[in-house]
Amino acid sequence: MIQLEDICKSFDGKEVLKGISTVFETGKTNLIIGQSGSGKTVLLKCVIGLMEPDSGDIVYDSRSLASMGKKERTCLRSELGMLFQGSALFDSMTIQDNVLFPLHMFSELSAGDQVKRAKYCLDRVGLKEAYSLFPSEISGGMQKRAAIARAITLNPKYLFCDEPNSGLDPLTSIKIDELIMDITQEYEMTTVINTHDMNSVVTMGENIVFIHQGEKEWEGNKDDLFHAKNEKLNEFVFASKFFQKSTHNIL
Amino acid sequence: MNIVQHVGRYSLLMYQTFSAPQKWRLFLKQTWKEIEKLGADSLAITLIISLFMGAVMTMQTQMNIENPLLPNYTVGLVTRDTLLLEFCSSILCLILAGKVGSNIASEIGTMRISEQIDAMDIMGVNSANFIILPKIAGFVLFIPFLVIYSMFCGLLGGYFVSLFTDLITPSTYIYGIQYWFVPWYVYYSIIKTVIFALIITTVSSYFGYYAYGGALDVGKASTNAVVNSSILILLFNVILTKLLLS
Repeated sequence: MIQLEDICKSFDGKEVLKGISTVFETGKTNLIIGQSGSGKTVLLKCVIGLMEPDSGDIVYDSRSLASMGKKERTCLRSELGMLFQGSALFDSMTIQDNVLFPLHMFSELSAGDQVKRAKYCLDRVGLKEAYSLFPSEISGGMQKRAAIARAITLNPKYLFCDEPNSGLDPLTSIKIDELIMDITQEYEMTTVINTHDMNSVVTMGENIVFIHQGEKEWEGNKDDLFHAKNEKLNEFVFASKFFQKSTHNIL
Repeated sequence: MNIVQHVGRYSLLMYQTFSAPQKWRLFLKQTWKEIEKLGADSLAITLIISLFMGAVMTMQTQMNIENPLLPNYTVGLVTRDTLLLEFCSSILCLILAGKVGSNIASEIGTMRISEQIDAMDIMGVNSANFIILPKIAGFVLFIPFLVIYSMFCGLLGGYFVSLFTDLITPSTYIYGIQYWFVPWYVYYSIIKTVIFALIITTVSSYFGYYAYGGALDVGKASTNAVVNSSILILLFNVILTKLLLS
């Protein structure tokens, strides 16, 4: 479980996050949704420790990030897995070496066992055929899957995904969403996903936090989403006419 | 950002970089790769530049010596000392600042904007240490060989002039390059280049590491790396010459 307590962040006097508090629950896919520029990515970067919030605290299973020392933070980081918007695979390494990298750095397994583990993770995300290929030689969807394999290789307790579907076709997006959900349940992780893709929201939204201009506007799950009375949320959710019509029909 | 802030940020980055590697085996592997990429891949350009510069230096020295009191072997002596004292250290490093500096800045800059550095940080890897230290170690270790190789190629260029033109005889040229040889000049040149190699790698890494934005900003970081490395090389050239030769 991750608890966010009154997170504030400003850049050059401009407030980007205005006192956000919420709880991301274990074993669930927690979604942060909002328009571009609403502060989702900054919030995610604060949660994973890439940015320091100006005030507030983030508590990882009763461990406060603000009061952690350097060693404790390094220890915590080995429990985090992250899927970046652009996959962030290392260009100079093959897919297998990318997945092996965290194992090389932090695992005490023997070389043979490390390779076995890397291959298991790649097989788990359906990338059997891409072991020896470089990131530039595979498609965007495969890159995302490879990044997921790298993120889960050390059995993380927390998985963070920044716009996992950006740049992907709808079919691949669905596959990536399903993979993230399966992995969350399989590893009993706390998964936090930053997205503005409504298909993903409807598919995965077990706990949804809607952010508007740096403030938490609404919180609920995918079932509450369509009955919410929040005007800004409805504007965001029903921005697409097609989505509006199809949801209306379903309801 | 003013110069004080740059110096502060550069110092912090170097503090982060010069720490013990998390995994020595990976560090040595990376260093070997960098020796190959930054050092060995510079052999061809060093050969071409040094050979031609040595040849031109020999020709120009011969053409400009009009005093009949100066012996012919002066040509070899002047070529040797110019190569040893200045060309094979400062000029070569200025050229390498362009090749190696832009390579480092653009590589690290691309890693920064494509979030590869963030990915390392999140894993708990000291990204500066993992990415930058092998580059520094690789280039600093290889540069003495590159300098000696450049000296050899430069002198060879002059020898070819003596062999294929009638400006100077080969025996006179060889006598000239051996005459009044001061071994300290070689050490002086190596010491200078090691410091220049440090400047090139650290300054270029600094600009790459703090690149922000898109492809255009990586280009800017690369340009800044080359310009600032070159200025610092020229500045340190004066300081080191004063310290080591006076």
